[in-house]
Amino acid sequence: MVGVLRRANRLTELVWIRNGPGAAILPQDVTRIHMDFAHKFNGGHVGPRKVWRHNMPRLKYWNPTIPMVVNRSHNQDGPATLSIYFREPGATLASDSPMPSSSADGFSKAPAPAAGERVLTIDMKDRRSEAIFKEFMDKSGAVPIKTSPQDEALIREIEDRKAIGTIDRERVRKQNEAAKREKQMIAQAHSEAAAIKAAL
Amino acid sequence: MASLNRCLASLARFSLTTPARPTTAPLIPKFLLPTTTVPLVRYASGGGGGMRKRPPKKKKTYKTFRSYDLSPMEQFSLCDAMRYLRAFEVGRPPAVVKYELHIKLKTHKSGPVIRNRIRLPFPVKTDTRIGVICPEDSPLMTEAQQLGAVAVGEESLFESIRQGNIPFNKLICHEDSQDALKKANLGKILGPRGLMPSQKTKTITTDLKSTVQELIGADEYRERSGVVRLAVGQMGFTPQMLSDNIKALLSLLKADINEVDDSYTKALDEVVLSSTNGPGFSLNGMFKSDDEGVKPEDLQSVM
Repeated sequence: MVGVLRRANRLTELVWIRNGPGAAILPQDVTRIHMDFAHKFNGGHVGPRKVWRHNMPRLKYWNPTIPMVVNRSHNQDGPATLSIYFREPGATLASDSPMPSSSADGFSKAPAPAAGERVLTIDMKDRRSEAIFKEFMDKSGAVPIKTSPQDEALIREIEDRKAIGTIDRERVRKQNEAAKREKQMIAQAHSEAAAIKAAL
Repeated sequence: MASLNRCLASLARFSLTTPARPTTAPLIPKFLLPTTTVPLVRYASGGGGGMRKRPPKKKKTYKTFRSYDLSPMEQFSLCDAMRYLRAFEVGRPPAVVKYELHIKLKTHKSGPVIRNRIRLPFPVKTDTRIGVICPEDSPLMTEAQQLGAVAVGEESLFESIRQGNIPFNKLICHEDSQDALKKANLGKILGPRGLMPSQKTKTITTDLKSTVQELIGADEYRERSGVVRLAVGQMGFTPQMLSDNIKALLSLLKADINEVDDSYTKALDEVVLSSTNGPGFSLNGMFKSDDEGVKPEDLQSVM
């Protein structure tokens, strides 16, 4: 198994799940979220993919109870939509409203809103992920999380480590290059000596 | 005359036309020039105390796998680890993505390894297809077919395996067909796939029924490089289901460890939970989350 220190350093990167774009708490009346887009990026599916890969994990971390379902299909010409389901004010929802689980084959289409629920859709096709995510934050009313002092310290620590790493990498690169050059020179001298010996 | 000659010879050094030494630097470094028969002059320091070649330093070898100090490692309760892993796996089909458990052991590099089968309380895999080798046209054959084997037979089954037609992912053999299996020379085909029946894996049997039942929904685990790795749950499992599976696996593993001869050290070292696309979280043995706001029920929504 990989050594403890290396694994522990990997885990400090978890700070980027707790913070960053997407670290936000959704209001109480958001019941579920559904995304629908294609596997690959052609046909305007870059933005949705990036929202899923970069923003959704943070959102899921801070809102573990809210189902977030992603339906990816192989139809690149298909739509790319994000649906946010809201509870109507004062309405109580049946606990067993049908919700398909995520699918990689396009089988989990966005369900129709249940009684006492309304749905709000965002068209994600041909848009940048930042624009999509901003619209999502505005329309859902999510409140971004403030970075805690501990996490700020951790972020600083990671940055420091990366800076030291850059310096070290440069140093080792120079070392390796010098060793390589020396080796090359010796090899050249050897071949020249052999040539001279042959000529004699 | 002799004195004049000697004189000229000494003067020749200062003549302009023929320099005594070549002024141009040699093309090749000195150390590469062909060695002449000039004997090396060695100034003995007496008693053989000069440069002696020492034998190369022996690399230290360890008999056990390395065991780390876990104090710099942050450890997580099961619910905390699940919360992170569910965040990493958001939007992935929950039946495809699995929770994996890695159990590091304190153990010798050589000696017995732990190897066993387990029926988890909540099975992770459900696509077991069994092939049975038993004498053809015997009551055993009909029994195997009734038990749900996808391929049954002896010589006909060997022939289809040789042709590359392997519709099963588990293969068992009745003791009556053991000799036929040995003669068939299928080790080359079945061995790499881990399908070769053997006494060791308890896949050569006299009781087909119990073995088949054991194999359906059973997962094999074995120790490799001092770590036992096994998929213990689907992403859609609740914390309670996952906890039951982990407990079942650990209690069986402890029983396996107790069976090992006392002359070999073998003990649990660390338990790590990861998922198909997520990082590994060292578990601290607790169930509930440290965060008061997150309850186990919160971690069972649709993925």
